[in-house]
Amino acid sequence: MLREAFAKNPKLAGTLVPLTAAIIAFQAINDRDDMRRQPAIEPKSVKTAATASFGGAGLPFEYSLAALSGFRQVIAGLLWVRSDAFFHSGNYDAILPMIRLITWLDPNWLDVYATGAWHLMYNFTDTDQRSDRRYLPVGLALLDEGIANNSKVFDVYKEKGWNMFDKVRDYNGAVKAYQGALANDPDAEINQVAHPLAHSFERAGMVDESIAAWDDAVKRHEAWMKRPGITDEVKMRNAMGVKNATKNRSIMQIRKALRPTNIAALGVVDTDFHVTVTRTKSKVIKVEGSWNLIGSIKDTFDAGIFEADGNTIKTLGKGLTLDGPVNGCRVDVRLQDDGYKMPEFGSFSFEVDPKITLMQDIVTTSGGRQVDAGGAYVATPRAGNAEAVAESAKVYNLAPKDQAVANGVPVAQALTGAVPISARGQWQLVTMAYPKAFNAYPRYYTQAEIPAMFAKLRGDAKTVAEKLTKRNVHIARKGLYAPGSFRREIDMSKDPKMYGFKNDSFELILSVNPRTAPDFVQDRIGWNGEGWNDRKYLDDKTVPGLRMIRVRVPLTKDDILGSGEKVLFKG
Amino acid sequence: MNTAMVIARNTISEALRKKILNAFLMVGVVLIALTFIFQQFAPRQELTLVKGMGLGIISLAGLFITVILCINLVPTEVERRTIYTILAKPVRRYEFLLGKFFGALGTLGINIGLMGLAFVVAVAVKQIGAENAVSPLILFKGILMIAMQMLLLAALAMFFSTFVTPLVNFFLTMVLFVIGNLSSYTLDLAKNSQVAIVKYVLLGVHYVVPNFGNFQYTNPLLQPDVVVKNETLFLTQNCAYAVAYATALMVLAILVFDRREV
Repeated sequence: MLREAFAKNPKLAGTLVPLTAAIIAFQAINDRDDMRRQPAIEPKSVKTAATASFGGAGLPFEYSLAALSGFRQVIAGLLWVRSDAFFHSGNYDAILPMIRLITWLDPNWLDVYATGAWHLMYNFTDTDQRSDRRYLPVGLALLDEGIANNSKVFDVYKEKGWNMFDKVRDYNGAVKAYQGALANDPDAEINQVAHPLAHSFERAGMVDESIAAWDDAVKRHEAWMKRPGITDEVKMRNAMGVKNATKNRSIMQIRKALRPTNIAALGVVDTDFHVTVTRTKSKVIKVEGSWNLIGSIKDTFDAGIFEADGNTIKTLGKGLTLDGPVNGCRVDVRLQDDGYKMPEFGSFSFEVDPKITLMQDIVTTSGGRQVDAGGAYVATPRAGNAEAVAESAKVYNLAPKDQAVANGVPVAQALTGAVPISARGQWQLVTMAYPKAFNAYPRYYTQAEIPAMFAKLRGDAKTVAEKLTKRNVHIARKGLYAPGSFRREIDMSKDPKMYGFKNDSFELILSVNPRTAPDFVQDRIGWNGEGWNDRKYLDDKTVPGLRMIRVRVPLTKDDILGSGEKVLFKG
Repeated sequence: MNTAMVIARNTISEALRKKILNAFLMVGVVLIALTFIFQQFAPRQELTLVKGMGLGIISLAGLFITVILCINLVPTEVERRTIYTILAKPVRRYEFLLGKFFGALGTLGINIGLMGLAFVVAVAVKQIGAENAVSPLILFKGILMIAMQMLLLAALAMFFSTFVTPLVNFFLTMVLFVIGNLSSYTLDLAKNSQVAIVKYVLLGVHYVVPNFGNFQYTNPLLQPDVVVKNETLFLTQNCAYAVAYATALMVLAILVFDRREV
């Protein structure tokens, strides 16, 4: 029929030749550029290994047909809505195949990588909300896949940087991720990338690099503000970014200058770390101990004077003028198969090895207190954090048991001469009675000011009554020192899927990393633990240049699975 | 051509009489509903879902309207024998065919245009007060690509309608639509194939079957970070591809219809 038709209308049929040529030419142009072709359902970055371990999760037929008919985004959207429903019902396991499918259907949907990695790295937990850290390499592999599929945009690099910083606490890894964002995306959001890069450098102990990163952030903000056509909102955000980056740069410069000075002036702290590990019943261990956690006392850190802009340092201060036991530093507790190292995943697969046992918890140190003979304390029914005004005077709350040791008298009696008040005690009373204004410089009284102020206090019965007696301030006859303590019972019996204890030998590692310590502790002990020592547990070999407190307790399967109470380690 | 235009107008009128615009009304309601039902998501995700679903629904509605409309245009006239009345008048066969085709395009244009407009307005309203909002007008680029895809699909269905029954036409058109959407696969498979004959067969499929996948422009619209290197070239050449391929199909359709006994 066609031949006849062609023969009858040769002119019309002849038009098919140029039309066919045009069609092929247009298609050839379209094929040249990968960006203009629809993405393959399975992105190139996904290796065969990931497909093999897909775990049987498949796209239902009706979804497959729709996806193949060009409705990928619709299907991806529907699956995402379904994932959200699973999330709200707490069915996290069901979300993983969804994430796999969605990232195949739409490899450019950045939120799915970010949210997926968050699910993997944070939301799989045991009964006591401890993360299942076996999923960390899986989450990182998903982010790596997201980066491979979206290498020119900063978003997934940023997510990886944050997860490295916050969850994995691999600060060098965070630095690498944030640097990747800045190197590959000229439009990377400075506040979200350059700022955390500087923080990551700081946590990695790379002080000069951190200062340079803050400098770089300031320059990037300034360059951004000069871009044509930016909105007021963007301008304001970058102006705020300049302010914050400048302030943080100054703070880093102060810390760089003063932390070594603090250690030189105050000496090295003996942490005197003690720990006892007890199995209370099968798969339940109790970790308790004490150590000297010394840090900067509130409002007695003399940073110096800033310029009128409030950001740039004008005159450097003295640094830490008063230290003592503080709360807040965390002891990491990790129970794992002997010699476990986090594996590197070449490609995303949500299968984790069920034979691996890996538990990590953090225990906060608290309750450290100190009072000198003739010094002040607050008598309270139970130990607890002191009020801010007392804390800034290094006045601790003492519970009845400690009060008995200190054997003090109420402040009003002490002022009449019932017990001698030491120079430190006088300073404490004056600081509590006449607190300095928040913007005063320096924030603390100097010893030269104390005699006159103390004399004033003696004659000021009203202030004594309102500021000291009302707070139940006492003066100690005897000195008291108690280190901070930590205690946690870790129950792994309720989650056999997570804690299978399939191996024969395990290790319990307790560690304190100075790089993860709060700023007010780092001010005293430095970034790398230069300012502390421990006769038994100082470890400067695991990470060269880093002085950690680290206790490794080898355990057998019987140690953990056995019944009845047993002390597994004491030292 | 005047005759063809008269037939086109009649075709549009007939389609409208058949309440084909009800499809637009239904889709419009769904599109407006879309802007409310994903509020549990973060704003960026919500907008991605709304845009993705919206464009998908327009595309899906367009697909069904196109196929159902175009597979029936010629056979219905033959079945009802009204074609004899038309062809008995000074109307050439190609004018009849082109008139039907343009009528179908007009009907599709009205539907897709109205759906697109409703969608863009809904997104614009949704984006009021949103931070870093991308102009909703860029969605028209996606709607244009859907329209071009449907133009090509309409031509394909019209071509088949000149020599196969509506049922066969439905399956043929749908199967080619699916295969055409897999254009990136056929090319990848061809490139990776070690067997020469398979390679050339796949390349043949890639170049001969209308590449409906070329018109997938949703991702760059949903993910502002996905940048098409030369957007003008992309949009222009896809429009040109659709027009060239549709023209070729209509030439073939005219040639076949000219020899067909009715």
